[in-house]
Amino acid sequence: MRNLFFFYCFALIVLAIAVNACVTEQSVKYTRYFADGAQLYKSHCQNCHSATGQGLAQLIPPLTDTLFLRKYRAQLPCIVQYGIADSITIHQQVYHFKMPANPKLAAIDLAKLLTFVTNSFGNKQGLYDISEIENHLKNCR
Amino acid sequence: MTNKLKIYSFLILATIVSSCTSTPQKLPIYGEREAIKKMVNGVEVIDTLYQTIPKFSFLNQDSIIINQDSLNNKIYVADFFFTSCPSICPIMKKQMLRAYDKYKGNTEVKFLSHTIDPKHDSIAVLKNFSNKLGVNAKQWYFLYGDKETVYNLAKNSYMSSTFEDRASPGGIVHSGYFLLVDKNKRIRGAYDGTNEAQVTQMIDDMQVLLNEYQAK
Repeated sequence: MRNLFFFYCFALIVLAIAVNACVTEQSVKYTRYFADGAQLYKSHCQNCHSATGQGLAQLIPPLTDTLFLRKYRAQLPCIVQYGIADSITIHQQVYHFKMPANPKLAAIDLAKLLTFVTNSFGNKQGLYDISEIENHLKNCR
Repeated sequence: MTNKLKIYSFLILATIVSSCTSTPQKLPIYGEREAIKKMVNGVEVIDTLYQTIPKFSFLNQDSIIINQDSLNNKIYVADFFFTSCPSICPIMKKQMLRAYDKYKGNTEVKFLSHTIDPKHDSIAVLKNFSNKLGVNAKQWYFLYGDKETVYNLAKNSYMSSTFEDRASPGGIVHSGYFLLVDKNKRIRGAYDGTNEAQVTQMIDDMQVLLNEYQAK
């Protein structure tokens, strides 16, 4: 009877580890992307968009418009890589100031950066994988 | 014996507390200074001549001439920036906005932002920038002037070294300092405009400076 109890316990632990291993591969990647993305954000974006993603008055748009980030998900890597020359509408507010390009950021950097941005400042949109980035970058206008 | 001990410990405590609460009543005066002789009531006395901000004349975002006369009886904070700057300017403006919000409507306080990129920052661009920042053009001047003049003013008068550097994004690197100037055109404080703690210090120092004039 006692032995049976230990067996069940052991079986349960093995099962838990097995399940956990499947889940974590994806979530480890997410955590790694997110952490690296936070550093990239600090060095490339924070000066203008601020540490809390609020932007600056009506000059620099905030990064808190979840609907925008979802709707234009495919264009996000293009915006970060090539900047914005004309205008952008965020939270129904038009912003006219030019956003500089970031030609030095590689696809993997964009993936990490966008994983961070789309999961911070009130956004929760999961992993932005490098394969998805590479696909979208081909279609930049 | 115990009474004596009580008194001593009270005295020590009182000393510690009073040494903590004494705040500096006056800000330092920066820049060169020289001793001059002058006559007061027929008696020769030695006085100190402090470095001051020299005369200037620039147009603001409303195309109004702003010079030293516009700043008579005002304290002000000056900085150097350009609207298309992607590096430190947005942080500086965000921090300057904190100071502006604190002293908004105070007729003794002005803010001066000199553009160091007049080629791009026309008066119309500055006007648009100030509107979008949401500030009052009568209290916060965005000043347009000849590049050489502004650079010289920054370098020689405000100690803020601004120079061109093509390698950095945005083209021009500048020091990002906020300079606090008193009613006698003397520099009384220099703060890193990208450092939140230093700007908080500046906001406090502005009140200390205003208090100097209250006392008289």
